[in-house]
Amino acid sequence: MNIVVCIKQVPDTPNIRIDRERMTIIRDGVESIINPLDRIALEAALDLKQKEGGKISVLTMGPSQSEEALREAMAAGADEAILLTDPHFAGADTLATSKVIGRAISRMDPFPDLILCGKQTIDSDTGHVGPQLAEELNWPQVCGVTEIHVEMNALVVKQVSDGFQNTYRVSFPALLTVSQGLNVPRHIPLGDLEQAFSNGRVIRWGLKDLNLRPEEVGFSGSATTVVRLYRPPQKRKGEVVSGSSQTLAEHLIAKLVSLSILDEDEAE
Amino acid sequence: MKTKQNRDWEGVWVFGDYRNYFQNRVTLQLIAKGNQLARNLGVDLTVLVLGSQIHQYAMEYTAHGADVVMVVDHPNLKNYQVETYVRVVSKLVESFRPEIFLAGATAFGREFFPRLAKRLNTGLSADCVSLEIEAERRLLIQTTPAFGGELLADIITPEYRPQMATVHPDVFEERIHDHEATARILYPEVEIEAEERVQLIRSKPDQSRKGGLEEAEIVVVGGKGLGSKENFQMLFELARLLGGDVGATRPVILSGWTEESRLLGQTGKSVKPKLLITAGTSGAVQYTTGIQGAETIIAINRDPHAPIFKMADLGLVGDVKTVLSLLLENLKKRL
Amino acid sequence: MVLDPKMKQAVIRRTVRKFAEEKLVPAAAEMDAKAEFPVRVAEEMAALQYFGLEIPAAYAGAGLDCVCYAIVIEEISKASGAMGLCISVHNSVSAFPVYEFGKESQRQAFLIPMAKGEKIGTFCLTEPNAGSDASSIETTAVRDGDGFILNGSKIFVTNGGVSGLNLIFAITNPSEKGREYSVFVVESEREGFEKGAQEDLMGMRGNPVCPIVLNDCRVPRENLLGDEGQGMRIALSTLDGGRIGIGSQALGIGQACLEASIKYAQERYQFGKRIADFGAIQGFLADMATRIEAARLLIFRASSLRDRNMPHSRESAMAKLFASETAVDAARIGLQIHGGYGYSKAYPIERYYRDAKVCEIYEGTSEVQRIVIARSLMNK
Repeated sequence: MNIVVCIKQVPDTPNIRIDRERMTIIRDGVESIINPLDRIALEAALDLKQKEGGKISVLTMGPSQSEEALREAMAAGADEAILLTDPHFAGADTLATSKVIGRAISRMDPFPDLILCGKQTIDSDTGHVGPQLAEELNWPQVCGVTEIHVEMNALVVKQVSDGFQNTYRVSFPALLTVSQGLNVPRHIPLGDLEQAFSNGRVIRWGLKDLNLRPEEVGFSGSATTVVRLYRPPQKRKGEVVSGSSQTLAEHLIAKLVSLSILDEDEAE
Repeated sequence: MKTKQNRDWEGVWVFGDYRNYFQNRVTLQLIAKGNQLARNLGVDLTVLVLGSQIHQYAMEYTAHGADVVMVVDHPNLKNYQVETYVRVVSKLVESFRPEIFLAGATAFGREFFPRLAKRLNTGLSADCVSLEIEAERRLLIQTTPAFGGELLADIITPEYRPQMATVHPDVFEERIHDHEATARILYPEVEIEAEERVQLIRSKPDQSRKGGLEEAEIVVVGGKGLGSKENFQMLFELARLLGGDVGATRPVILSGWTEESRLLGQTGKSVKPKLLITAGTSGAVQYTTGIQGAETIIAINRDPHAPIFKMADLGLVGDVKTVLSLLLENLKKRL
Repeated sequence: MVLDPKMKQAVIRRTVRKFAEEKLVPAAAEMDAKAEFPVRVAEEMAALQYFGLEIPAAYAGAGLDCVCYAIVIEEISKASGAMGLCISVHNSVSAFPVYEFGKESQRQAFLIPMAKGEKIGTFCLTEPNAGSDASSIETTAVRDGDGFILNGSKIFVTNGGVSGLNLIFAITNPSEKGREYSVFVVESEREGFEKGAQEDLMGMRGNPVCPIVLNDCRVPRENLLGDEGQGMRIALSTLDGGRIGIGSQALGIGQACLEASIKYAQERYQFGKRIADFGAIQGFLADMATRIEAARLLIFRASSLRDRNMPHSRESAMAKLFASETAVDAARIGLQIHGGYGYSKAYPIERYYRDAKVCEIYEGTSEVQRIVIARSLMNK
């Protein structure tokens, strides 16, 4: 089975600073990690390869430093790593991103049977790239998968969606996005990390390699534009009361009544 | 798709996601908001409903504010199916050309709408928490969370139509059911093909994740400021009387006042209850990240400068133990 | 296209930190309280090649360079000083000489099990009457046919309680005037090799430090490491790497103190504000952070030189000296910042305080490091 795992390198920090000019976050000096759900997708690929044999290719669209995430993925067990990088790719929304990744996958030889992605990233949170990539390739999709089984010529997968647990049979080739709970990624032996960084080979493809035009990709190829990036305004009322403990307790009771947690009629 | 002439596209559409109706109100909330946006633009609000034997939903959506309800009723549409729905809906969008198309950010919405947006080659924003119209360019300003809600982004889709967005539940308020309301009901002709590639084998209600701290509607949390394990025990009584659960901060766990499974914060659980009462906690960021999603926060602390008061809806400055004792006394009398 | 080495270093650091946070941090307090070595965690670490850090892949090791090695030791030590000590000594001082001086047959027999963590290693040098003065040891190895008979006692053997292979530093020509030393690899199961009761120590209590006794312990010639009489050279060869290892281990403890202190200072309120807003505390934290950063850079310098096969005895001595004293200082100030709570076992800072002290003593006391550095500064 030939599997492609799409990963994204994302910032690993609760403290974010904003670049107001480019309407994006400042990534300098910030540690980057493989998006946690993508790591779970990779783990799923490793499990499938163990059972079915085949090849795992890991792929990402990003700046040059995204290579770090690819090599980490190779250390975990991916056989091949492809970095889609080009100045033109920058500023892409999910529409443009799925175009680039879709074109890259179409170029792959052998052509994959299965694409795995994390359901969403911890930075943009959209969860769009998976379905849009499936549409770009005209493949069937199931999102938020929590179990994967391989049958004769199909996959049987489980998904929890809007309070229902659904089981689907999906024909090959297919795209699945994975949810938390599918697996717990293994720890990577240190020697494998050493090997991936010293000997691993990362393939790089740019605009020309993918036979794309500048207006199809990056900022130019995007339909949406971010016009403002900001911190949510503090929405708490922030009423602070001092006084005797009796007074405070009364305020507290009054609040509980106003929230309909206590009934008003029980006068003290 | 990319448009030269935005004025060809007119109308606000809402996708009628009726799964788990009556508990899931997001479509109704979107109808209310969509109605407001439509008035702003001087156009109709259309609700699009796909399914089998769905007439009742058409009635419901009419009663909740739709100007138009577009119904596609066919046995092949009985189960929600991404590719089938994308096929049907994209054809309708191409025919009718709405300028705005909204869907609730349900699990299905978040799986179906992106694929639809790609089919239509247009922009989509995810899980919006605010929608406004910029009248001059007839633009929908879509506000979405990023970085797990740490930041907000305002997004526009200037040159592509329709402008699509999925919307977070409970952001907007639905309109009251109005028996008298009327709407135009349309039954467009669309070709429906059965889905081959993804087949639903089984579907049953999801029973996992019932109960537990993360499910509690009311959470009472204690910090080191409570002073002792005995004082901390008061919270269990309080939780019992209010019908909630008990959480704790790390210093409390380290002191052995309660078990680790009650830990809230960066290294513990995150909760989003209706009400959170936090007593004797100073408000360290490692803790508050676990509670910031609560609807209402009441904080009790001796120190008027404690940072917890910055994120509370109601702050009480005083002796924690005494206030809690008085509260318990009062509650026991009532309940 | 040459990859920036910082990329690999960052990923290794992050990978080890994640493992340490998940597996070691929750176990560290109990390890200390019960003075118990965490066997299951050690097995998991063995599978991830923590016991073969610098050993080449051909011998089942991870093949890391020294810079990355130092990073691994630091991150493990930050979670647990006792475990950082275990792998540092096992790698730098026990496995290393087996690799450097072992014949191919010895590498196969001894090095591979060590790299896999199947056999944890020790280097038994110190004796009741021989600490800094290593040459005054009394353990003897007398020729017996084709082998040797070892007699003597060693103390404070790091990893002793769980070791599988032990490097014994002994005198091989006891009757003669000019002393000659040799190193022998002795299996823990070998007859005549006995482990004593675990030492009851102030800190590093999760490490099974114990004395060992050699009682007419007969070893075959195959267990002689290097040549007869090469023992002192072997012992000295481990110094540079050992210093970098212990320096990194001390750095990890220092970093743990810093992080705990920053956190505590921001959470603790007195006199109406966070103690982090008081100048005195800010001064403490600033000095602590600066010294720790300096220690990290000294270790980086020493390990970079080592990776380029350049002399680094002075640099490694400086790194060990500075990092160990920094750790002790960080623990002292850190505990002070924690106030009364710092004195309680409910917070980890008192364990860091107890763990840090020995870093100024073993692997060459601070006084010895100073002599080494001073001598390196002078003309012969």
